Parts: sequence; C-alpha cells; structure tokens
Amino acid sequence: MKLTEDIAKSLMRRLKLPVPEGAPAETAARVGELASEFGGTVALKALLPTGRRGKSGLVRLVGAADAEDAASEMLGRQTDLGYVDRIYVEKGAEIAQEFYLAFSFSDRVPMITISTAGGVEIEQVHATTPERIVTTPIDPLKGLRPWEAIDLWSRAGLKGRSLADVGRLTARLWRAFVELDAEMMEINPLAVDADGRLSMVGTMIEIDDGALGRHPELSEVPSQRPDNPRERMVNDVNRANPGGDARYVELDGDIGLLVAGGGAGLLQHDMIVDLGGRPANHSDISPAPGTVKTEAVLDAVFTNPRSRSLLIGYNHLQMAPVDRVVEALANSVQRNKVDTSRFPIILRLLGPREAEARALAAQIGGVTYLPSGASLLDGARAIVEATRKVSAQQDEGATA
Amino acid sequence: MSILIDKSTRVVVQGITGNQGRYDTRLALDYGVNIVAGVTPGRGGEKVEGVPVFDTVAAAVAKTDANAAVLYVPVNGVCDAVTEAAEAGIGVILATTENVPRHDAVRAVAAAREAGAWLVGFNTNGVISPGKCKIGGIGGDDPDALYPAGRIGVVSRSGGMSAEIAMALKASGHGVSTAVSMGGDRTTGRSMCEYLELFDADEQTDAMVIYGEPGTGNEAEVAAALRSGRLRKPVVAIVAGRFQENHPRGVSFGHVAAMIGDEADSASAKIELLKESGAEIASSLDEIGPALDRRFG
Repeated sequence: MKLTEDIAKSLMRRLKLPVPEGAPAETAARVGELASEFGGTVALKALLPTGRRGKSGLVRLVGAADAEDAASEMLGRQTDLGYVDRIYVEKGAEIAQEFYLAFSFSDRVPMITISTAGGVEIEQVHATTPERIVTTPIDPLKGLRPWEAIDLWSRAGLKGRSLADVGRLTARLWRAFVELDAEMMEINPLAVDADGRLSMVGTMIEIDDGALGRHPELSEVPSQRPDNPRERMVNDVNRANPGGDARYVELDGDIGLLVAGGGAGLLQHDMIVDLGGRPANHSDISPAPGTVKTEAVLDAVFTNPRSRSLLIGYNHLQMAPVDRVVEALANSVQRNKVDTSRFPIILRLLGPREAEARALAAQIGGVTYLPSGASLLDGARAIVEATRKVSAQQDEGATA
Repeated sequence: MSILIDKSTRVVVQGITGNQGRYDTRLALDYGVNIVAGVTPGRGGEKVEGVPVFDTVAAAVAKTDANAAVLYVPVNGVCDAVTEAAEAGIGVILATTENVPRHDAVRAVAAAREAGAWLVGFNTNGVISPGKCKIGGIGGDDPDALYPAGRIGVVSRSGGMSAEIAMALKASGHGVSTAVSMGGDRTTGRSMCEYLELFDADEQTDAMVIYGEPGTGNEAEVAAALRSGRLRKPVVAIVAGRFQENHPRGVSFGHVAAMIGDEADSASAKIELLKESGAEIASSLDEIGPALDRRFG
C-alpha cells in the first residue's frame, strides 16, 4: 500500500524524524488558512500516492498570499496520475543542499541507494551521472548501523559537518523502514539548510501489504478501492473474510476466467490469447476450502456485461478438494440465473474428490466438464471455441 | 541420487499439531517418508500419527537426528521457525507459508544461509524425489500417479505447475528425478539457478525443466549460467504471463511476485534471454516432451 504524503509524514513525525511542518486540506480556503499560518513560501502538493507529481504540475511553490488561488486551480483536476481532491500544505524549506536516500528490496536482500545529487528524479541522475549514486545491500540480521551509514555517505562524496548528521539520520530511517514493514521508502530531497539542519522534504513510503495485519495504526488509512464495481465487490469480500485474497481484474475481452494456482492461471491466459481469445478478466484464488471468495469471483464474471463464457481452469489440485469449486459454481449460477445454454461454461478441474465434482456439475446442467486427462491447453482451446460459437450466434441474432 | 532429499532424509514437522501439519504428515507417512519428529511448543511428549512431538527443534534433533524440516506455521511465526531450524543444524528447510512479509523473509533467508541450510520457499507445496522421499503436500494423496520416477529435474515457481509439468513429462514417456516447487513469493530461500546447479551435478538427472513467471531475476540468472557454461545439461523453459504486457504495469495478476515493474522482468524478455542462451522454450506444457526429445534426439 502506497501511502499519501500526509500519512507518510505523520508516521515519520511520530518517530521524531525531521519532517517540515505541514497538514492536509480539502478546500482552497483551508489551504489559504494553513499557508498564512506557516507564512513565507509554502509548497502545495496534490495528495496522490505516487511520485513524479512535480512533472505533472501537481507540486507548486507559492507565497502564502497566493496559496488559496493556486489551490483552487489544483483541486478538482482529473490528471493522468489521479483525481486531485486533497492538497498537502507544507512550510517552505530553506535549502542549501539536497540529497537522495532510498531503501528497497532486491529479490533476496534489502538495498540502500543514496546520492548527493538529490532533488531530481534518481532515474535522471542514473542516466547522466551514475557515479554519483551509491547502492549496496544491507545485511538484514545486522541492520544498518550509524558508522556504516556514515561510511556509505562518505563514499558518495559527502564531507564535513553534514556527514555525521546525515549518516546518523540514515541509520534511524533504516530502523523506521523495518518497524513500519515498508517495502519502499524514498526521501527526496533530504534537505540541509544553511545552518546544517536536516529536513525530509520529500517522503514516499510503500507498506508491505503482506504485513498490514500487524500494523493496527494503519488500519485507519483509507485504502484505494477499485473504481470498477465488480472489482470493488471482490475486494470487499476479501476484506470481510480471513485467509488468502481472491484477485479479480477486469480486461476488455469476452471470456470470463476463474483460473487458479497463480502459475497455471498465467499460462492459461497466455494460451487463450495465443489462440485468438480475449479474456474479460484475470483472476487468481487460493484453492483452499471455503467457497465465499470463489463465489465472489464467479458472481463478478456472471455480472460483467462483457463476459460471454466462463472457463474454470485450476492446476491439477494436490490437496484441496475440487468439488468445493463446483459447489461455488452451482450457487453462483443459481443466484445469477445464468442460462448455461447461452453462456458456455467449461471446467478443467482435476484432483481430489473429482467424482463428486463431476456428479455435482451434471446437476447444474449445460456445463462441459473436460475428461481426466485434459491438459491446460485443452481447456484453453475449448473455451476459445465455445466463445467464438456463442458470439457468432449472438451477433447473428442481433443483426437478424 | 536426486537432489536435496532421498531415502536417508529424516524429517521434523514444525507445527505438526495443526490441521495442515497433521494431514500432510499422514500422507507423507503413507508415501513412506521417514518422519521422525514433530515440534509444537508446549506439546512436547505427545504423539501425532505415531510421531513423537517435541517442544523445540533442537530437542527433536538431539533425540532423532532429523536433518530436514517442514514448516506449517502462521505467517508471523515463519522467520523464527526458519531461524530455529537453521540454528538447530537442519540442512533442508521447507517453508510452505505464502505472502511472508518482506522484512521477515529476508531475515529468514539470511539466517538460513548463515547456518549453511538450504531454505525452500516461501509459498511452496514441497519437494519430491519420486519413490524416495517427499517434503510438503506435493503429490497430494497419490504422489505416484502425479510424479513418476525418471531422469528429469523440475524447478517451478508454482506448486500447481510442478504437478502439471510432471503430468506432461509422464504423458511423453519421461519421469522426474526430483521436482521442486521453489516458492512463488518474490523472496525465496534459494534462486532457481542454485537448484539447477544441484541438478547439473546430479548423476541421475539428464535435463531440467523450469517454470518461470514475470518479476524477479531468477530466469535471467539461469540464462547467464547457461551462457557462461556453468550449467551444462539441457534446460527446457516455460515462462507464463506474456499477456500481462498488454496491460498497465504494476497490476498483479497471479503470485505476488508476478508483477512486472521493469521490462527486463517481463515474460517475453525472459523467454528471449533464455532462448538466446541456449534453453529450449516451450510455450505450452504439451511442447515439453518434444523439446526434451529434440535435445536427446
């Protein structure tokens, strides 16, 4: 979960890290009030959980007196980065030097990236002066200690009084990175004023979704709900039920997919596309017992106006019983009054309790259950063929 | 031979008193696996499916000489459980739990490496050396039907796909020396290439089949090892997730790890790189058999 700047900075403030004075506002009038309270120059930043706002005109530096007008221009704008409904108002920092600092992960280790060329996008520094970037793995068992951080900044070319302060702050930020279960943390710029005081002017944090359960302090953060009503429904069912999440993402084709086993789902989708089919969605779901989330995905497929067919294609299950999937299908078909003679359903479901699953599928009627030896490719072929037929019929019907 | 596990493997099950631990233990015992101990703190002295339960891994190792561990522990206990097993001297540790928080995952990986242990997972359904041993739920209630013994090594980012690959091998007259579900999380104990190096050195493995996905540097590392000659046996690769490239970046379609952030991590880029490096590419499971036959023609 990417945090918006107001949340990220309030977390940092709570950890007593040096963040400039600032607050979020929803109206231009409130922006004006905050600006005159801070005085001097203020930064107005659109509260969208993303970088690259500066380029899109979503960060503006203005005098306190002009803040309200500038805010009315920004608020209510639909931009390619999102809809602007809130602005973060921040006291302008006096900047003598700007640095860059980020923590992230490679596949197996945490990484730190620093540069004394801060204030611009790191990609740009990398393209023009890569020698000004120092990046190195961190041993997660030892962490990053102050003297190690000082050594890194010294290698990045930092000298004098700032070196010790920036190094110590870096070690404290490492601890914050761990405590917050952050997946990514970027401070850009990390500013130093003429008196040597540090200030984290730009702060972006992404929290590891897998760790959200142990951060009750973040449960109040409004998470971004999908705009699509069916994606939102599946999302809400996930939130309301424990265990692994069901994923459902809508695309612009006409083949509904309940595919599972992350890997087998990806492969079937590729094969369908290779055969000229166009999925109406992608999905992924844990095959573990419990049908609530499976039914949510099926309901989404059946109520998506674009889907004309459904493939239920799981990898050969080794532990979970397959009849639970068919049970979910029976419930969802009934609830959504699906006419299986007009909406082809293909099942490629092999594994424990397959005989029971086949018997149950026969009761639903009009469902094609592929035989035991069927491969994932057989399932892909069957659904592409069935969808083509039903589309041709329906298009004919429409023109007749 | 085979890799990682064989007839001499002695397994301790961490979390044996939970539902999953108990169920998988029953199936493993039926397969003939030498499960010598279970661990659940506070339940020492009990028995599960006839297997003695200990309070700590160290106590289990002292009493039973266990040398492999399977973990069925909740997500927030995984890092500690891996570290405990590694420090107790366990050589192969299988962590089945999925979506392990990144910070815990990297700590567990580092702790295992430091102790010289081989960590399989996270998000794995197991490792099987057909006819010899299996750890984890891999193979379900009929491992013999899914995993016939043979001379092909399998390394898969997905547990389900390892079964599908084994079925395709069986259909084309091949069998498995060892099949590894290496883990579907972005962070895994070992890289795909490290498994292939074990297979490359295994006398009973003639060729390897890998299943890869978008995200992570695993497949690129395999390609580099093929180019440098560090891997000498034939590798057949199947990499899924090309369709994602038609959609906006950052949308996750499958495993958490299978998210493209970078073009070099896309399925197409990996396929291209593996092909250039001398791997055989299969675009569906049905092409695996013919690809192997081409190399042994």
